[in-house]
Amino acid sequence: VATGDRSSQRLPPMAEPAVEGEPHLPTGRELAEANRFAYAALCGISLSQLFPEPEQSSFCTEFVTDLVKWLELPEAVLPTMTAFAKGLGGEGADVFAPILLKDPILKDDPLVIIQDLLSFSLKDGRYDARARVLICHINSFFRVPLGELDLLEETFLESLKETKEEESETAEASRKKKENRRKWKRYLLIGLATVGGGTVIGVTGGLAAPLVAAGAATIIGSAGAAALGSVAGIAVMTSLFGAAGAGLTGYKMKKRVGAIEEFTFLPLTEGRQLHITIAITGWLASGKYRTFSAPWAALARSREQYCLAWEAKYLMELGNALETILSGLANMVAQEALKYTVLSGIVAALTWPASLLTVANVIDNPWGVCLHRSVEVGKHLAHILLSRQQGRRPVTLIGFSLGARVIYFCLQEMAQEKDCQGIIEDVVLLGAPVEGEAKHWEPFRKVVSGRIINGYCSGDWLLSFVYRTSSMRLRVAGLRPVLLQDRRVENVDLSSVVSGHLDYAKKMDVILKTVGIHTKPGWDEKGLLLAPGSLPQEEPHRAATTSSSEKTTPGDSPKVATSTDPTRAQVPTGLDQEGASPPAATSPAKSPQICSHGMDPNPLGCPDCASETQGPCPGLD
Amino acid sequence: MDEDVLTTLKILIIGESGVGKSSLLLRFTDDTFDPELAATIGVDFKVKTISVDGNKAKLAIWDTAGQERFRTLTPSYYRGAQGVILVYDVTRRDTFVKLDNWLNELETYCTRNDIVNMLVGNKIDKENREVDRNEGLKFARKHSMLFIEASAKTCDGVQCAFEELVEKIIQTPGLWESENQNKGVKLTHREEGPGGGACGGYCSML
Repeated sequence: VATGDRSSQRLPPMAEPAVEGEPHLPTGRELAEANRFAYAALCGISLSQLFPEPEQSSFCTEFVTDLVKWLELPEAVLPTMTAFAKGLGGEGADVFAPILLKDPILKDDPLVIIQDLLSFSLKDGRYDARARVLICHINSFFRVPLGELDLLEETFLESLKETKEEESETAEASRKKKENRRKWKRYLLIGLATVGGGTVIGVTGGLAAPLVAAGAATIIGSAGAAALGSVAGIAVMTSLFGAAGAGLTGYKMKKRVGAIEEFTFLPLTEGRQLHITIAITGWLASGKYRTFSAPWAALARSREQYCLAWEAKYLMELGNALETILSGLANMVAQEALKYTVLSGIVAALTWPASLLTVANVIDNPWGVCLHRSVEVGKHLAHILLSRQQGRRPVTLIGFSLGARVIYFCLQEMAQEKDCQGIIEDVVLLGAPVEGEAKHWEPFRKVVSGRIINGYCSGDWLLSFVYRTSSMRLRVAGLRPVLLQDRRVENVDLSSVVSGHLDYAKKMDVILKTVGIHTKPGWDEKGLLLAPGSLPQEEPHRAATTSSSEKTTPGDSPKVATSTDPTRAQVPTGLDQEGASPPAATSPAKSPQICSHGMDPNPLGCPDCASETQGPCPGLD
Repeated sequence: MDEDVLTTLKILIIGESGVGKSSLLLRFTDDTFDPELAATIGVDFKVKTISVDGNKAKLAIWDTAGQERFRTLTPSYYRGAQGVILVYDVTRRDTFVKLDNWLNELETYCTRNDIVNMLVGNKIDKENREVDRNEGLKFARKHSMLFIEASAKTCDGVQCAFEELVEKIIQTPGLWESENQNKGVKLTHREEGPGGGACGGYCSML
């Protein structure tokens, strides 16, 4: 019954690394029984809080049941743990965290828990998005920075790859950190080989799965290698990183699907990671933004990132149309006026400036085509993800404009399938031309394990304009928050960052920071970037704009609350000064006044307008 | 069925190791008895719906481990509990003496002060009794607790203990009504019924 006996019994198999000169490293199994109990309970309660939906309960129960076995807790605790996982009796998981932190092992290194949880989650050769969300959640209890988890995952990955890989590729600071963690990996592997019932994960994108087994044999020793080399072992290896090794980039559209003409994944980074990010571009333009990868230069959500190349022909047409519209409104003041008009919500179909309406047909057609195509592409993407072309690991989707629309329909399609859970970790929709009514977003709770971020800009006149004749105009997600009550949903007001729809591509680095997605450090800060190519000479300029925008947006999250938001604050004053009081909204007779304000360079001497135009002007040219 | 349930109550069972906390619970929920019951790990959790005076209450009963090595966990369960069952073994005086410690812990960690406590002297079927019934009664009276002597083995007083406790909790509306605002109507109706009830600050069965 005594705990001491238990841990000493565990020692013989675990002592192997120590024998070979490495320090003996503790894991979850070696915590005191009470703390193992607290650990499992913490996970159980957290799961029930994160995934209270009935369709997730089987996952929660299974996870906890496995964890109890993994931690070698007596079966007697199972009923209690399942009760925790079902949301019964959870008085708050936070009570267990302080208990755990008092443990002699965890006191020095709370990462032990995270490490243990990670290897537990991966033991069957798949990495469920929900497990990753749970790990991040547990992370927060121990106040471990998220970067540490990334580092752990990286270490884990490396440990499964050839060990010969030199650290020189990585930056100095992270190398040191990694070295601290490196000593773990032997241990991890041994744990996996012995505990996972003979199943072991292998990696490397699968290209040479059997070779990895051979390589890993040198790390693990003969005992583990037997498991690795087995047919089952190799099968598990390929499972984590996608079938046939090629993964997403190897995906070829075998036949024309629906109306889709182009659909391929382009790598944004060369790394490999246990979770991936797919970025989806909303349009292509001439010049700098003619490629799909251009807007995502700063994205650093994971070391393995892709962007989706889809329907370039039509997206290029759309981009050109957008630029035509802009040149039709060459006057920046006009654009600013439009922004405020849209912001104030007084735009009726009749109040659009005549100059804009004359070029409307330029945009309406490509927009309509792309709207339609994005639905098809989204559905197709859904089926690729469902068939696990990317391997059994969490996926994060980020997209702007029509790219966000692709995501929206991808989620919608996935929600209709039975096994849609645990694939998607986070989704980020920026300026999404989709339905913003909460009930349409409701099914996404089932699909998305982590966060659903809706980045919107209420002053996005272009988005408002293309929806001018639609009844959906007032509910577009890219123009307003999605009012769905769920822990996942985060609405981020981007008004202070984005002044027009085209900014979504041009200011992506700032936007990503604002919504809390990790971006690459500044160009000059670090000579070595994770993604070479796709970064022409403009980079220093980009970095400069980044840092300056950072200064203007204090903190990095001007979230839903907008009291400090300069753009919003200016709206009422601007309107008052130009005398366009509310009646203007209803009476068409007065609307020309707004237009004339729009067409005339600084007609009313409105200081707000003047100062505001100076900012975005160069950016929009 | 859940619609009939007036409220869900959180009940905690505490006491020294080996006094029979789990046996009491097992007798109450499953009506079984296992003389060789293994020591509880961490905490055990059971749900049972009982009917007291026509009101159904769902009990979420937390059976804590008495062993020293799990003591660190115990404080976390006190939060939000409406009733506590404090158990001692009538054949082991040391378990009775340590009651003071348990009361101290109770005071330290309980989030509310109107919580209903019940003292249970277990194992009265055994011959070698060390703690007299009056001693227990006196102790309970001193700390304004409900009191009962019971035996999980012979089933004596087990049902009574839980029923008394629940009845007392239901009679203390402040304890549970806040979480069940919408069912408040039922409550006022209920209160007029039994009036003073059988229990004051303490009560003795047997």
